[in-house]
Amino acid sequence: MTNPVDDAFVPPGEAWHPVSAKLVTARRLVLMLVAVPVTIGLVILAVALQDTPWLAALPLIIGLVVFVWIWWLIGRRVRSYGYAERSDDLLVTSGIMFRRLTVVPYGRMQLVDVTAGPIDRSMGLTTVKLHTAAATTDATIPGLPPEEASDLRDRLAALGEQHSAGL
Amino acid sequence: MSATAKRHVHPVTPWVQALRVAPIVAVAVLFAGGEALFSAGLWLIPLFFGGMLLVGALVAGLQYVAWKRLWYWFDESGDFRMQSGVITKRERRLQLSRLQGVDIQQPLVARLVNMGSVKIEVAGAGDSRAVVEFLTLPEAEALRAEVLARSAGLRPDSPAAPEQEQLRVSGGDLFLSLLLKMSTIITLLVTLGIVLLVTFSAGALGLLFLFFTVIAPLLAVFGEFTTFYGFTVAKSPDGLRLRSGLLNTTAQTIPPGRVHAVEFVQSFLWRKRNWVRVRLNLAGIGDTGDGNAGQSAQTVLIPVADWDQAYALVREVMPGIDVLDVDLSPAPPRAGRRAWIQHKQLGVGADERILVTKRGRFERRVAVIPHERVQSVRVTQGPWQRKLGLATMHADSVPGPVKIEALHRRQGEARQLAQQEIERTHAAVARDSSTRWMAKTEGAGAPPAQPAASADPLLIDAPPPTTRPVIAPDGPGPAPGDEVIVTGDDDLTSLPPPTSLPVDAPPPASEDPR
Repeated sequence: MTNPVDDAFVPPGEAWHPVSAKLVTARRLVLMLVAVPVTIGLVILAVALQDTPWLAALPLIIGLVVFVWIWWLIGRRVRSYGYAERSDDLLVTSGIMFRRLTVVPYGRMQLVDVTAGPIDRSMGLTTVKLHTAAATTDATIPGLPPEEASDLRDRLAALGEQHSAGL
Repeated sequence: MSATAKRHVHPVTPWVQALRVAPIVAVAVLFAGGEALFSAGLWLIPLFFGGMLLVGALVAGLQYVAWKRLWYWFDESGDFRMQSGVITKRERRLQLSRLQGVDIQQPLVARLVNMGSVKIEVAGAGDSRAVVEFLTLPEAEALRAEVLARSAGLRPDSPAAPEQEQLRVSGGDLFLSLLLKMSTIITLLVTLGIVLLVTFSAGALGLLFLFFTVIAPLLAVFGEFTTFYGFTVAKSPDGLRLRSGLLNTTAQTIPPGRVHAVEFVQSFLWRKRNWVRVRLNLAGIGDTGDGNAGQSAQTVLIPVADWDQAYALVREVMPGIDVLDVDLSPAPPRAGRRAWIQHKQLGVGADERILVTKRGRFERRVAVIPHERVQSVRVTQGPWQRKLGLATMHADSVPGPVKIEALHRRQGEARQLAQQEIERTHAAVARDSSTRWMAKTEGAGAPPAQPAASADPLLIDAPPPTTRPVIAPDGPGPAPGDEVIVTGDDDLTSLPPPTSLPVDAPPPASEDPR
């Protein structure tokens, strides 16, 4: 039903600038770390229900299915991240089920954050986040290698100052 | 500018502050210890009261020390300074050249002793306000007048300019409007549902709880009633002044340019009386974090008013715009499969100055944002929208109750709307840019009607203050009929000067967009 010509999320130029594929690994690593305590909980639940074997197996099966689904979803989600720099503004897109496209004029940028959590750092990735005066501006680009992130930040800061507008 | 000596707030202040929390503390302690007390033995009661007195004396002592350490004064450069703190010293300095408003607030306890606190707000990120509590009412008014005079570059003892009352909400109207409001209706229905559920499960005994169906909504109404009672809008040289409150009186000044977005809200039960509420997004007021951002007096321009009056007020804070002339295009028919109830009421439209969005069936909302206030633009699409080929366009604004969203448009159209809005934003900002913050104003030369160089409120070094010719140093102030706009260098707008619109004149097209 979605007419490709009519699509709301096409890139403004040739294509969206993608993020690093290593983000997939980083996020899957986080998933595994989170899965450990959850599995323990499910095992405890299964042991508690051991009198009815089919009921005991149910939480474990559900857990496994959810795990596999999220594993696959991470891959697709990371591929959906993209950004494009235009002359006056920056476009950021993301999401598969809940798709998002954000356009931020350079003059509106108040702050450019470059952050990296421990897992991201170990994989050599950073997250760039733009802030405007609005709390609902959602311009976050994860999974950028540090050099690319700092180049982007410097470019954005320079463009921001150039276009700088009042509130 | 002469510095003044350091001053204390009124010595009674610690007692007033203590009285504000006393009821809560007393109730808490009674709940916690009351039962234990009575069961342990009556001889404990004097001990308990002795303990309370001791604690009270300790607290009073601390408050006295805090009072002794609290100073406020004006320094040599004319800025307002406040020094406080018992253990950690804190000094606050407010540049009066960036003044946004000075208001006198009176919590109930302070009102009883004829005292009030003075809240001084300057343009800036987040925490840029100072509250001087408590002063006697004459002292508070004198302080307010002094702050206003200094920020305008006049002699500190110049009298404050008089304000002209424009609109006052009557108590009866307010009460009725709150009863008929959507949130009240919803509370009523929810409570009724719960009671019926209880009745069905517990039998006729549940009917006893029927009175809760009335109490619960009334409680909600009561809260808002005390916030908005006596809501008065007055025009003054430093902007629009709003005052309200039954028990606690609060006041707020809205200088021109501080309003970023406006929303007209109308519950379907208000339609017959042509009532509407106006909510605002204001720069410098962070999102309060709770869901009451729309009910808090800070973000409401008028809690209930006739459509004509409300529209006139909106044109005061956002001069030169014409909401009624904007044609709104409706959502595509297939939006009906996604938004069954409100799809006929959805619409979006724009002219060169503003973007207007409409939504809501039982509670109709029309949101308006000038293009130069748009911070960013988003297009979002949920899975259900994707199946129908729809998407929503958002125009982001500073934190506040107003959300500008064009819901459930065709996907291509949503993208196009976003692109057009971005282009209009660039154009509008570029038009403003001719008098941007890089140029510094040099003071008295600027005539009142001409937009001065707007300062980015987040700049550390603000341009020197401009005088406000409207407050004649030796005269009584502007005549009530004068139409003036303050252009301090914290003026966030370069919109053309307002056209005078008397409150009771009907707008050109008297048909409202609903």
